[in-house]
Parts: sequence; structure tokens; C-alpha cells
Amino acid sequence: MRLGDLERRVMEILWAHLDEYITARAVADDLPGYAYTTVLTVLDRLEHKGLVQRERGGRAHLYAATESRESYVAELMLDALGSATDRNAALVHFAETASASDAAILRRVLARSPRRSPKRQGR
Amino acid sequence: MITAALLAALALMLFGAAGPVLARSQWPNRAPRAAIVLWQAIGLAGALAAIGAGLAVTVAPLHGGLLGGAMQLVRQARAGHPLAGLGIDGSLGLTLATDVGAVLLIGLIVAAIRTARTRAVHRRVLDLVGRRSERAPGALLLDDARVAAYCLPGVRPRIVLSAGALEILDNEGLGAVLAHERGHARERHGIVLLPFAAMDSLLHFIPYARHARPAVAGLLEMAADDFATRRIARHTLAEALVAMASAGAAPSCALAAASTAVVVRVQRLLDPPTSSSVTASAAIALATCIVALPVAVILAA
Repeated sequence: MRLGDLERRVMEILWAHLDEYITARAVADDLPGYAYTTVLTVLDRLEHKGLVQRERGGRAHLYAATESRESYVAELMLDALGSATDRNAALVHFAETASASDAAILRRVLARSPRRSPKRQGR
Repeated sequence: MITAALLAALALMLFGAAGPVLARSQWPNRAPRAAIVLWQAIGLAGALAAIGAGLAVTVAPLHGGLLGGAMQLVRQARAGHPLAGLGIDGSLGLTLATDVGAVLLIGLIVAAIRTARTRAVHRRVLDLVGRRSERAPGALLLDDARVAAYCLPGVRPRIVLSAGALEILDNEGLGAVLAHERGHARERHGIVLLPFAAMDSLLHFIPYARHARPAVAGLLEMAADDFATRRIARHTLAEALVAMASAGAAPSCALAAASTAVVVRVQRLLDPPTSSSVTASAAIALATCIVALPVAVILAA
């Protein structure tokens, strides 16, 4: 499995334990087939990327997701939706949102047009 | 001096008047790809003309002519005394011109890097939270009720749909949206848009830079529509477009311009343009002439 996929699964485990810190051992227990040290390495990488927070708790380190899954999704949606005036153009969108009046025009145009237009040639 | 004046006039025309005129024209909708090439040609020719004009003023006196002067300058620079024979005016002018050129070039590169970094951050988060969906093979799904569909450009572009979009689209419409986004991904529209976005953010006061980005962005949407309609029915894509665009319920004034672009796309899908290949050929011919113009003036000098 690629490292990215493993990071993803580790994040999913942490997200399932929202608002609590868990040990690397607990994460590894949820990932059968992976060595404890591999899980530690992945947690370390995720901490470097700012996705995971670490705390000292007794003998072992404790880990938690920095932000909830929902807030990451919301962050992406902000990029996806708030771009009509964005000159940065990091994304390419399917359709900008239509104004209410244009939406009405659009539906009228669509209704007038035959569903399967016969071969349109010339004009 | 004639050369300098000609090139300066050409640069002014291309960076000043050409952008607004092209942005207002209707014909690019018939041949979006060729129109994008024309936008690129105007930028390239304008830059050539501006650089040529700067050189013509400063180095032409060195060796009776622009190219000769430039060669002479290179020879002098190699010999270790680049500014010999330029005089105060020439030296100042050349220094100023190269500094302005360097600052602009660096600015554009920085703007492009900033966009690339925004994309990288987005991609990193997306790969963590995006889910797979059986209904939309090859796309990543975001658990959000709002409606969104987009392509994240990159070496391996990602196509992204929100749960809200999946909700309002039937399977046909979903296929149409995916086909459109695959068009963006396959034809690397993110890379085409990058220099225009960088120019707009850096040189917004120049009419060409200001008009080119939104115009090219709109043309890329049409190009992706054309890609999609080679695989699916035009009417299906038009329906999906209307469904997606009217789902957002935006305030009616804020997005008027962008929204009108959707109307144009829908009309274009329902009433396909005729004679688009003639238009495309004419646009490519025009683009070639526009680039040839400053080159010819420089070579003739």
C-alpha cells in the first residue's frame, strides 16, 4: 500500500476518536498487518504536516487529529465555492452559480429546446 | 528610431486595445481553442514588441540597427565592458529596461508558484478526506451538502464532486459533469490558465492582463464542454449545467458576470455553432500574423 493511503487510514482512526488523545499502540491495533514502528513513522510525518498533534501522557506519546474531518472538508469547499472573483485560479470549476434571474432564463431556454434535436445543419 | 516607435506602438496596441476588443467579441465561442491560441499570441507578440522597443532605443545606436546593436552588446559584455559606447542615456535606459523586465519576470514566476502551492495544499487535504464513490468512478467525493464540482490541476489531476452535487444529478447528468471535468484534466487546462492568472494578479492595471484571464477561463469551460459532447449528448450536458448552476441560489447581483457565462454555454450547447472550423483556421492565421509582426519589424531593423 502506498504511504499516502496509510496516512489516510491513520487519519481516519484519529478522526473516529474525535476530541481524545490516543496512543500509537491503539492506532496500530486498528491497523492489523502494520508494524508498530511503521505507524509511529506515519504519525510523525502527519505531525510534521500539521495534521496531527502530539502530547506526553505517562509513558507513551498520545496523538489526536488537529482538526475534524468536517473542518477539512469545509476548507476545501471554501476553495471550491469562493472563487468567482479569485484571480489565483487554483481550481477549474464546472459551473459558476447562476443568479436567480439567469437561472430562470436557463430553465426557459432548456425547456424550449427539443430533447433530441434532429440533425441541425446550416442556418 | 522608426523601429522603436513602431514596436512601441505595436506593444501599446496589443497590451492596450486588443484585449478589450477580443474579450467583447462573440466569435471565440465558436472556436474556443483557437481563440485561446490567439490570446497567447497577443501576449507573446506584445512582450516581444515591448522588449524590442526598449532595445531599439538603447542599443541600436551601437551598431546601426537593433539586432546588430544587441549582438554588439553581447560581445561587449563578454569582453567585460558592456556599457561602452552606450552613453549616459543608453546605459540608464538599458539598466532600467532590464530591471523592469527582471522584476516582471520574477513577479510572474512568484505568482505562478503561489498558485501551485495553493493547489498542493488543497491536494494534500483532498487526498486525506476525499472518498471514492461507486456512482462517480475516478472522482473524489466531499461530504458536503453544498453543490460543487471541480478539477484540481496537477501532474495527476483530481476530479472532485460534493455530496450535494451527487444529490441533484441523475446518472446521465453525473456522466456529463465527469466527462466535462475529464476534459479539463486531459487537456491540462490548469497549466493553460496559470500564466494568465499570474499576469492578472500581478499586472491587473494592464488591459490585456485584466481581460485575458476571465476570457480564457470561459473559453476553457467551452473547450471542456466540447470535449464532453464528443462522448455524451449536448442536451444532457446542458441540463446538468443548468441543474448545477441554479442549485447554488446565489444573490442575484454578486455573480452576474460569471452567471451570464453559464447562459452563453447553455445556449452554445443547445444551438451548436456552425462553421467553427473556418473560424478556428482564421483565428490561428491571425495569431500567426500577430506574432510575425514584431519579429518582422525587429529583423528588418
